[in-house]
Amino acid sequence: MIKEKISSQEIIDLVASKASVSKRAAEEFLKVMITSIEEALLAGEVVKIKNFGTFKLQWNEPRKSVNIQSGAEIILSGYYKVAFTPDTMLKEQVNEPFAHLVPVELDVEIKKDEQEEGAEIASDPLRIFTEQAFEIKNLIFEIQALSDSKSATSEAAIGLENITEEKTVNDVIEDERAIKSSYNEDDLDMIEVENPKIPERAQDLSTEDIENPAIINLISPEDKESKLISDLSVTPYLENIKPTKKRKIWMWILIILFSLSSLWTCFYFIYPPVTELTRETIANSQYSVNKIAENMSISEIVNSISKWFTSDAKPANKPVTIVIPKDTNDFDSIKQNQLIDSLQYLFDNPLVYREFVATERINEGSRLTLMSKRYYGTKDFWVYIYEANKERIPNPDKIAVGTLIRIPKLDSRLIDATNPRCLKKARELHDIYVK
Amino acid sequence: MNNKELIASMAAKMNAPKSVVEVLLETTVATCTELLVEEKTIGFQSFGNFEVRKKEERLSVHPSTQIRTLIPPKLVVNFKQSNILKDKLKDLPHHD
Repeated sequence: MIKEKISSQEIIDLVASKASVSKRAAEEFLKVMITSIEEALLAGEVVKIKNFGTFKLQWNEPRKSVNIQSGAEIILSGYYKVAFTPDTMLKEQVNEPFAHLVPVELDVEIKKDEQEEGAEIASDPLRIFTEQAFEIKNLIFEIQALSDSKSATSEAAIGLENITEEKTVNDVIEDERAIKSSYNEDDLDMIEVENPKIPERAQDLSTEDIENPAIINLISPEDKESKLISDLSVTPYLENIKPTKKRKIWMWILIILFSLSSLWTCFYFIYPPVTELTRETIANSQYSVNKIAENMSISEIVNSISKWFTSDAKPANKPVTIVIPKDTNDFDSIKQNQLIDSLQYLFDNPLVYREFVATERINEGSRLTLMSKRYYGTKDFWVYIYEANKERIPNPDKIAVGTLIRIPKLDSRLIDATNPRCLKKARELHDIYVK
Repeated sequence: MNNKELIASMAAKMNAPKSVVEVLLETTVATCTELLVEEKTIGFQSFGNFEVRKKEERLSVHPSTQIRTLIPPKLVVNFKQSNILKDKLKDLPHHD
């Protein structure tokens, strides 16, 4: 197929006449268009043109090859390639001549000559099948009337069995009776032997309950040629049971996975608020954070629950920030296990820095970590100093000389250097801030 | 760079209003689409060729379910960069 090639000059002419601008303007426009696309691509950008497509750079890895003359190995260097992905609009318009074709699922291999018509045949397979079933039925009756040899009748019986696969068992028996009555007395013996088998087989097939248009496609053209359906056509039919069963299994796996995931999401959304609530109630009853907590009524509990669901709807799985409690001194006489719980509470809540111990000026050689060591005993807790002064420190690694740093007053439990959880938390924050 | 940004940068280069550039770009796209629908090859000097290629029908097999599917033939647009553009791209350093 020789394709006509359109040069850019012709494009310019066409655009000029369509947009009713001068050719020079169109030429300049096209030039600018190409240069700007190129520039953007060279800058590593993706260029998208509406209704046309996307240009993108694609890196092709270097690969080994062989010099055809000498047989020596050479390495082809990697290179960039401009990849163009057409827009759906363009794709559809270009593919217009083949737009009516749809992918067809096949379960049996189709002969080459049938493949071309595959799409059309599949469009109405049931009608074609029934038509051909009638044809074959008529043929069988003709054969029965003409021939009196036993081999012919047995073949006919097998043929009928195959035709009636798609029908109900009753139909099969009725048909057999009709044939029976039309037969001579000589043939009767033969059919009586066949009869008990046929309903059984028909039942077996009907229980499988499969309808597959693709097989019908395969069978029907063969029918024309061989008049009778051979026994072979039964085997592909039985083979096709496997895929459908597999599909059913897949369906079940999908359903189970879906239900599991939904259960998990339910748990995920309900669990944190509930645990938080219990923790809070323990805290409230134990060390009177809230003065009214002693006679905390049910309505307050309900309020706190609703608070968890509304204001703090984003679950506490991302404790980026840390709270500093307002009243630190009251907590000295707490038991160890409650301490752990309240620690988690501190970790999970947003922070407020209100009180400050001191103010420091940054000099040459000042380090947040050194300050942390001086005030809190360990270097790791510098992150809290950074958090308290975030708005003045754009980059924790480079603090301008002369910056005033306020040292926040921290809850003694939060900066417990002997507690591995505190250290771990501080390091997590460290990883977040220092990247 | 999306359509709007492209138009903006082109308008800046041409000293023309954005609306004019937009109309011109739309006509160009429409013209190219028309030509491609007629299965013609479009060659932009120093940039590359747009070409319509026919993908033949094929038989695909689903790897897990073993279902065979006949994929019909289709026409696709293919872009091949010109050698000039390829040489320009050679200067780009590769970092990954």
